[in-house]
Amino acid sequence: MGISQIIFYMLAAFTLLSALFVVFSKNPIYSVLWLILCFFSIAGHFVMLNAQFLAVVHIIVYSGAIMVLFLFTVMLLNLNSETEPHKPTLLKFAAVLSGGALFLIIIAAVRSTMPAPYVAPQLSEVGYVKNIGMKLYRDYTLPFEVASILFLSAMIGSVVLAKKERFN
Amino acid sequence: MENSIQSVPQNWYLLLSTFMFCIGVMGVLLRRNAIIILMCIELMLNAVNLLLVSYSSYAGNAEGQVFVFFIMVVAAAEVAVGLALLVSIYRNVASTDIDILNRMKW
Amino acid sequence: MNTLIYTACLGLFGLLAEIFNLRKYLIPILVLGLAVIFSLNLQTWNNPQTHFNGMLSDSNFSTAFSGLALFIMLIILILSGDFYTSTDDEKHISDYMAILMFTLCGALMMFSFSNMAMLFLGIETLSISLYVMAGSRRFEVKSNEAGFKYFLMGSFASAFLLFGIALVFGVTGTFSIDGIGNYMRMHADKLDPLFIVGMLLMIFAMLFKVSAAPFHFWAPDVYEGAPSLITALMSTLVKIAAFAAFYRLLSTCFVFALGKAEIVLTVSCAATLLVGNLVALVQDNFKRLLAYSGISHAGYMLLAIISLQGRTDSALFLYSVGYAVASLAAFAIAITVFKATGTESISGFNGLAKKNPLLAASLTMAMLSLAGIPPFAGFFGKYFIFSEAFRNGWQNMVFVAIISSIIGVFYYMKVIVAMYSKPANEFEIKPTFAYQMVIAVCLIISIVLGLYPGVFTKLL
Repeated sequence: MGISQIIFYMLAAFTLLSALFVVFSKNPIYSVLWLILCFFSIAGHFVMLNAQFLAVVHIIVYSGAIMVLFLFTVMLLNLNSETEPHKPTLLKFAAVLSGGALFLIIIAAVRSTMPAPYVAPQLSEVGYVKNIGMKLYRDYTLPFEVASILFLSAMIGSVVLAKKERFN
Repeated sequence: MENSIQSVPQNWYLLLSTFMFCIGVMGVLLRRNAIIILMCIELMLNAVNLLLVSYSSYAGNAEGQVFVFFIMVVAAAEVAVGLALLVSIYRNVASTDIDILNRMKW
Repeated sequence: MNTLIYTACLGLFGLLAEIFNLRKYLIPILVLGLAVIFSLNLQTWNNPQTHFNGMLSDSNFSTAFSGLALFIMLIILILSGDFYTSTDDEKHISDYMAILMFTLCGALMMFSFSNMAMLFLGIETLSISLYVMAGSRRFEVKSNEAGFKYFLMGSFASAFLLFGIALVFGVTGTFSIDGIGNYMRMHADKLDPLFIVGMLLMIFAMLFKVSAAPFHFWAPDVYEGAPSLITALMSTLVKIAAFAAFYRLLSTCFVFALGKAEIVLTVSCAATLLVGNLVALVQDNFKRLLAYSGISHAGYMLLAIISLQGRTDSALFLYSVGYAVASLAAFAIAITVFKATGTESISGFNGLAKKNPLLAASLTMAMLSLAGIPPFAGFFGKYFIFSEAFRNGWQNMVFVAIISSIIGVFYYMKVIVAMYSKPANEFEIKPTFAYQMVIAVCLIISIVLGLYPGVFTKLL
């Protein structure tokens, strides 16, 4: 077993464990912290896949911006209480069942496809800034520009919604 | 150091991200705290990111990684709007249990 | 393509108008701008082009639906002048208008996408703007809840869409819908199971977005809680945009694999028809009634999508136009009544015929068009869809659809009966000039289309 395989297994186990902790932590603060760790491990996977640029962006955007926003909200609204009412057991059972069913379907599809485990022949270089930049600014110019419309709309929207002012 | 692309089969990444996606789905269905549901949706999106990056690295096709950028963009915008909505609900009802949302009947 | 750019510019103008103190003239300018864009949009007719390395492609399909979307937004803007009248609303009017324009941008992308990235960004631009608009009555808990519920359900569905896109990308190695279609053509006899799973996940997500059963449960709550004008927008523009994108996706990417998804689509279509029409029977709130009516209409449109052959695109378009004009007229009347009586229940319509016979007659016409009674456009839309489905061998589904549309007549009659036979309440109900114009225009289009459906049947 090569070193990269060992790293992969450790990272994968860490990713799954932290994802499970996100779902099952009672306190939202712990969930947020576990999610941050989960995102770091995913960035680790990106590095292993030779997508270093994406790994850095992932850490900056997810751990740096999105999760900080989450933490701010949790703390600002003082949501870190552990008094979450429980769902009926039947609903919980149904939830686990549907999640599991989805997993099994995809496993079945994976097993019936791809007879041999597929390993790439050589190091891929698509994750380098140069290649991604070429793709993004040459072929994907329009989605790139259109994303700004999305951002503008989301920005105005969140200001409209969250600004504190009251009229009577 | 050798790269994991050469030693780990792509199937493992597919299984890993599927498992992660399903944990996210389960979380959305199991939990009632709105903010945790939002986090579970983030988890699902990240499973998709991982899957896309692995496909794109193994096939040597940069498009998958470019798509991940758009997913990040949308995730950021979604979270901003979602948390703003959450704040405005909280101002009115002071709780984030989503079953309050069920006051509106079926 | 140009339509999209101009609309985005109009949205930016909406934001800048606040700086230059143009708030008073904002809506007229935007209406004028949309009218100009509507006429510019016609230039792309019979002039198919792809733009930006195959990201967007104009076709007659996209031109027709873009025209419809621009028309709907025009009507909504005209209605918004007298809808947003409180101090809080007036303060935010330019933000609202800008967000509405961006919503329209999202819809335009969904009509002409030819790459999954554009589909995804289009859906998200449309949805994120609408989450905000649904929750825009910030001090009403109901509106907040509607926005947040819509947000949770919408982003949950988006995650499924993305997982589907990722699986399809993994198998085919491309995001372009033509590339996926080519892959399909070459491997039609032996498809990768992962491809099928990916396709099904995408179909589930789209069913979610069009609020088809069993993924419909969010729609009534959201429609009820959102501001009435936004409900009108959601039940017309958003539904039509989602259906057009769904149609485009199925007809270009997945046309050779539809056999695998047939059972899902058929069951969903039958369930949508029955659930929508049956649950609507017991509703007291007019907005919820229209929401369930919208769900049942989604069922008829799904019927057009599953019988995907030949001229179903024109059937879908004719149906969308008929549905949109009737719903807009109904909502314009409903907003007037809600404002006057202060209630959203059907009892607010009691005795409307005695107080304002013209308004009652207009609502009757809109309801009859929605129920699919001739000579209105709704009837011919339905007839066209049914006959196409029948010819393509979906006799059983047509039978279910006919039964459910007969059930549907009852709840539309409930409103009509309330207007004509119940004793009147004391409120005076009179629509403003803009509302009168909108109602008149929508009903005239509905009747003209009903009398001369040939205008649109051979269009696409």
